[in-house]
Amino acid sequence: MSEPELIEKAKEGNRQALAQLVKNYEQTIYNFAFKVCRNKDRAEHTMQETFLSMVKSISQFSGKSKLSTWLYTIVSNHCLMQARSNKNKFFDSLDDDELYIDESEIAEWKVTPDQVAENNELKEILDNAIQKLPQDYKIVFLLRDVEGLSTEETANVVDVSVPAVKSRLHRARAFLRSELNKVLKNGKE
Amino acid sequence: MEKNKITCKEVMNHICDNLGEDLDSPKCVAIKEHLENCESCQKYFHSVESTIQFYKIYNAELPEESHNKLMDYLGLSDE
Ligand SMILES: [Zn+2]
Repeated sequence: MSEPELIEKAKEGNRQALAQLVKNYEQTIYNFAFKVCRNKDRAEHTMQETFLSMVKSISQFSGKSKLSTWLYTIVSNHCLMQARSNKNKFFDSLDDDELYIDESEIAEWKVTPDQVAENNELKEILDNAIQKLPQDYKIVFLLRDVEGLSTEETANVVDVSVPAVKSRLHRARAFLRSELNKVLKNGKE
Repeated sequence: MEKNKITCKEVMNHICDNLGEDLDSPKCVAIKEHLENCESCQKYFHSVESTIQFYKIYNAELPEESHNKLMDYLGLSDE
C-alpha cells in the first residue's frame, strides 16, 4: 500500500494502517531523536510522544508536507519545549566574523568519519561537542546537514525564516568544527 | 597587499556559510579559485565536511525492546 493510501486508511481509524506508518518511520524518528538528545532513554521517550501525537492528530494531517517532515516537526517541538529555558544569548549575539576560526589551528585530522562506528571514545567526543550547541542550532544542523532536508523544509520545521536557518547552520558548523578540532588536530585515536 | 584579494579568514568563514549552495555567485568563484591554491583553506574545508560526515555516520539503531514498548504504548502491539 502506498503512503497516501496508508494515511487515508489511518485517518478513517484503521489501526493496521496506523501501525504500518509507525513501523515505516520508527527507525528514522528514533535515530533523529537520539541525535537531538544524545541519550537512549530520552530518545525512546521522545519517539513515543511523537508517535502518540501522530496517532492523535493524523486526521489533521493535510498532506501538504511530507509525513516525515511532519514527524520531524513534532520531534523538534517536543525537544525545543524541553529546552526553552536554556536559550543562548551568546550564540544569537555572535558576530559572524568572530566565528571560532583560528588560522593557526588548521591541521589535518587523523581520525576519519568511517571510524565512528567502532570507536566509543570518538562517539563521546561527538556527543560532547554537539551537546554544547543551543537546541535550536542543533536541530537546524541535524535537519539540514545530517537528515538532508532542504533549507526551506528545515525553515518550515523549526518555524523560522530561511536566512535564520542559514545563519544558524553556519554558526553550528563552525562551532562543531572548532570543538572537534580541539581534540582531533592532535591525532587522537 | 592586493586590495581585492580574498583572505583565508573570509574563505573559511564563507565555506561554513554556504557549503554546497550558491556555487556560481562571484564570491563563490573567488573562493573556489583561492581554495585550489591554499593548503590551509583546503584543510579547513575538509574538516568542515568531515564534521558533517561524522554526525551523519553516527547513527542509533532502534532496539527491539524500544519497538515493542512503543507499540504497547500506542495500543498497537496486536497489529
Ligand atoms: Zn586560504
